[in-house]
Amino acid sequence: MRGRENINMPRPNAYALTWRLPIIVWQFLFFVGPLLFMVAMSFFLVKNYRMIEAFEMKNWVKMFGRNYFWDSYWLTLWLATLSTIVTTLVAFPASFALAFRTSETVRRWAIFLLIIPFFTSYLVRTFSWYTILAESGVINAMLGSIGIDPITMLNTKFGTIVGYMTLTLPLVVVLQTFALANIDRNLVQAARNLGCPPWRTILTVIVPLAKTGLIVAALFCFILSFGDFVAPYYLGGSKPPTLPILIIDTTKSGQQWPRAAVVAVVMMATLITIAFAAITLAYRKRASA
Amino acid sequence: MSASLVEIDGVVKRFGDFTAVERMDLTIDQGEFIAIMGPSGCGKTTTLRMLAGLEDPTEGTIRIGGETMNGVPPHKRDTPLVWQSLALFPFLNARENVEFGLKMRGFDAATRKRKALDWLERLDIGEFAERNVDTLSGGQRQRVALARSLVTEPKLLLLDEPLSALDAHLVIRMQSVLTKLQRELGITFVYVTHSQSEAFAMADRVVIMSKGNIAQTGTARDIYRTPANRFVAEFVGRNNILSGTVTAATAENTHIETPVGTFTVIPEGPAPAIGQAVSFVIAADLVNITDQPQNTENSLSCTLISEEFIGSMVTLFLEAADGTEFKVQVQERALGSLDLKSGNALHLGWSADSAHLLTGETP
Repeated sequence: MRGRENINMPRPNAYALTWRLPIIVWQFLFFVGPLLFMVAMSFFLVKNYRMIEAFEMKNWVKMFGRNYFWDSYWLTLWLATLSTIVTTLVAFPASFALAFRTSETVRRWAIFLLIIPFFTSYLVRTFSWYTILAESGVINAMLGSIGIDPITMLNTKFGTIVGYMTLTLPLVVVLQTFALANIDRNLVQAARNLGCPPWRTILTVIVPLAKTGLIVAALFCFILSFGDFVAPYYLGGSKPPTLPILIIDTTKSGQQWPRAAVVAVVMMATLITIAFAAITLAYRKRASA
Repeated sequence: MSASLVEIDGVVKRFGDFTAVERMDLTIDQGEFIAIMGPSGCGKTTTLRMLAGLEDPTEGTIRIGGETMNGVPPHKRDTPLVWQSLALFPFLNARENVEFGLKMRGFDAATRKRKALDWLERLDIGEFAERNVDTLSGGQRQRVALARSLVTEPKLLLLDEPLSALDAHLVIRMQSVLTKLQRELGITFVYVTHSQSEAFAMADRVVIMSKGNIAQTGTARDIYRTPANRFVAEFVGRNNILSGTVTAATAENTHIETPVGTFTVIPEGPAPAIGQAVSFVIAADLVNITDQPQNTENSLSCTLISEEFIGSMVTLFLEAADGTEFKVQVQERALGSLDLKSGNALHLGWSADSAHLLTGETP
């Protein structure tokens, strides 16, 4: 009915172009330019700790031939996926409550409070987990008081996920809340009217209606987790390293910037593919026969 | 009519300080097509939502099929509602929309599909079964919504202004679809509307609501010819309302003195007392209009203000000496040689039995 047959793109005119120019220039200077340079650099060579312009496949062959590269790749992909699933599931009940069970005023305050964590550096917030998760930290002290042996939480995958969620959970709750608050309540009532019990409306009506927003929230979570250096390094123990840690390690060992560029290009390619797939899925309308 | 299906017994609905339904007593028979009509905010939609269980009455009882429904959640009732907005699920195609209620009732996929396709076929939209509902026209979407509500074979169908978004010619088409369906299925339709033509054209019985109360219940003809009170007379439209004092009253005739003259009315019930203030209505189509003074029981001279031509019928708007407005509805071909220049003096007349005394109080 809407937007299908005629999305009338206005012809670019001088006025529109003038206002669009800054963002276009910015994107070319600081995104497209560096990206192209990075791709080019992945073909350079390093001799005597110096980078030489070249066009050789050596770095690519070397990195793709190493098990540690693939170990890092699959680990990073797995941790980011796990983070996305866990964050989405943990965030949903909170977002649902904010969207459907609270007044407009409460929702506004909740969103304000969810933005506050972004006031402080993510690094600082990550370090604060030390006092909670450490062997001698708050949680183990409490467990100890009831006679349970300390649990190792720092330098584990659990620690990494906790770190990722520190970064992503507030954002995902905000995005999910917006998605859920905007759905047409009549449709939820219509489902109830047609015999759908309240709990079942979540999967039959609410999730499909909020699909676009929920997927975009999950995508943000994935992108932020996939590219994050802080959580796997400080809370995850960096062994085996995730891709961002691998980039740092590679540049440190023998000035291997070109090999680091290979890792970075692979990361970009992965993120672009996943983002494209997610957005396609998010906006996919049902195929019409 | 057979046994009653719905009993609304002393129902009151308040939202905080606002009273949506002040008091409602209504019994709806099995197989009846009932229309609830009234202006916005009269409580008609709230009543419908209470029948569907989307609202619970503040006071009073609603029984459906003899069972008390207070506190029964919507999904445990069999009261499908056709929404004003249609509320079709945009993420499902036409057939899947129709299947929704069957799926909730645990029918297997093959049965669901067969029943859904049967209904879409029955409503002449079988060819659009696999289409995205966004790509259907207003009339087609309407039929999908109807099929979705009827596929579970309910005893009671609730309709909330379902035709209000359609073009005029589609409204007429859908009206005949609805009346035909209702007659064939023999189920009860409760149809909420603000449109007099929809209510009168389809319903066995019309309920007029005003400010959370029932102003009148009756057949379309009852309501049109014998409005119970001033609100109904005005709401139904095309009525001339005169107010005055009773000067003489016999069993057959009541004389009422009004600012524009004294008129004779034949009361249907007991005659009003002398000195009582009363109002009566004369339907616009029961007034004779001529260019010569009339020698009937009730006559009046007026000035023509304007005319409204709607095809076979013409409505003339006139004004009496003191500014009281009069409407007269005549067949276009019956106008004859009347000179319809605005400002012309014309003469109105009606028989005593075409006037109707308003006896009830306006809620």
